[in-house]
Amino acid sequence: MSDTPAVEVVDLHKRFGELEVLRGVSTRVDRGEVVSIIGASGSGKSTLLRCINYLEQPTSGEVRIEGEPVGFERRADGSTRRRSAREIARFRRELGMVFQQFNLWPHMTVLGNVIEAPIRVRGLSRRAALELGRACLDRVQLAEKANEYPARLSGGQQQRVAIARALAMQPKVMLFDEATSALDPELTGEVLEVMRGLATDGTTMIVVTHEMAFAREVSDRAIFLHNGLVEEEGAPAQVFGDPKSERCRQFLAKLLH
Amino acid sequence: MFSENLRETFNLALFWEYRHILLAGLAFNFYVFACSVGVSVVLGFLAALGRVNPLRPLRWLGAIHVETFRNAPDYVMLVWVHFVLPLLISQAIGQRVTFAPFVSAVIALGLVYSGYLAETFRAGIQAVPKGHIEAARACGMGGPLIMRRIILPQAVRMMLPEAMNNFVSLFKATTIVSLITVPDMMYNVSMVTQQEMRPLPLYTGAAITYFLIIWAVAGLARLASERWRRKIWA
Repeated sequence: MSDTPAVEVVDLHKRFGELEVLRGVSTRVDRGEVVSIIGASGSGKSTLLRCINYLEQPTSGEVRIEGEPVGFERRADGSTRRRSAREIARFRRELGMVFQQFNLWPHMTVLGNVIEAPIRVRGLSRRAALELGRACLDRVQLAEKANEYPARLSGGQQQRVAIARALAMQPKVMLFDEATSALDPELTGEVLEVMRGLATDGTTMIVVTHEMAFAREVSDRAIFLHNGLVEEEGAPAQVFGDPKSERCRQFLAKLLH
Repeated sequence: MFSENLRETFNLALFWEYRHILLAGLAFNFYVFACSVGVSVVLGFLAALGRVNPLRPLRWLGAIHVETFRNAPDYVMLVWVHFVLPLLISQAIGQRVTFAPFVSAVIALGLVYSGYLAETFRAGIQAVPKGHIEAARACGMGGPLIMRRIILPQAVRMMLPEAMNNFVSLFKATTIVSLITVPDMMYNVSMVTQQEMRPLPLYTGAAITYFLIIWAVAGLARLASERWRRKIWA
């Protein structure tokens, strides 16, 4: 069992009307691994991430969380059954997601944001959730902001709260969808610092990012997507230092200028 | 002659003399208002849920509800509900049915204003950023939970100013219920008028009373809702 990947994506396709955004992506992410997904805008990075937790329903292909297909159930006789929205929601508990736009709930305090899902979805007691919530806020160094409303925080602080909110579900995998892209440059550091801390602690992470230095330094593996396909995949030193694919080379060269 | 009439109009002593019976009538305005608010909020919310529903038949139902009742004049609706609707129901169930005037008033105004409120609710629900809903889904929250914990608390705050306007209009509309003999203030004004034959000061007194109440309550409501909203959207 221990070599079952945390996340496995098999021949994933996603089509929006005429536009095929993902054209057969396959990859796996092992437990404790940090995988960066890079690529030009429109290459399908965010769509891939959103298909993994079924915020977008894949057109075809499979997403497996610890070996279990998310979208359908495979019966003993080999037939398959599509899972209900409720069952898919259960898989999402295992996947913490951090969005580009933070998406904190403005009518709840910082602590309220963090404990909401643990109480309502996981069924934790308020007391246990408060304890967990404070621990998560501590981890992103915002314990002192617990009772503020999100509108009173800076963008970097809001994103750290969003990370704490995802952590509070104690997910098996954390998904980051361009977590620093909406931030002013001087605020990205604090968020990347938190993400680096999570990676060091052995959190399984899939990180869609434009922060090439971060991707190179922190991740165990990097994936370069181009036009909905994995164009290059490997150790960061290789992908960033000596890419085999000409397109990946061009993409990286453009970023350096 | 003219100036005497005018002087008479602003001589509110008569209004003051009958204040007890007139204020008792005003209480009926409030009863009708409170019950109609209940009806219109419940129906309006259901219609709004229909309007934003992914299922097309439900969207249609919501739209039909809104268009029917929002475009029905209060007065026509009142009369229709009081006189025609009971006949239709009687016909359908084969048993004579009548509505008490108070009940007709609540149904009629509740229906009309549920049309307006449905649109107010819908605007509030649709104003909640999609990202907030996605974040909730990503946490494993289901549809009803998201509606209750994430969408409604924000939607209600956003729609408050508009809902206040709807409620003010609804309160104003309660002044026509005397037409089907609900004993509200206007009804009592006309009763006293028949006795005293001096309608002008009574109508002026009623106008001033309604104005002061609506003005004060609407102002307070606006103030309260603003403070509540400001806490979130600094």
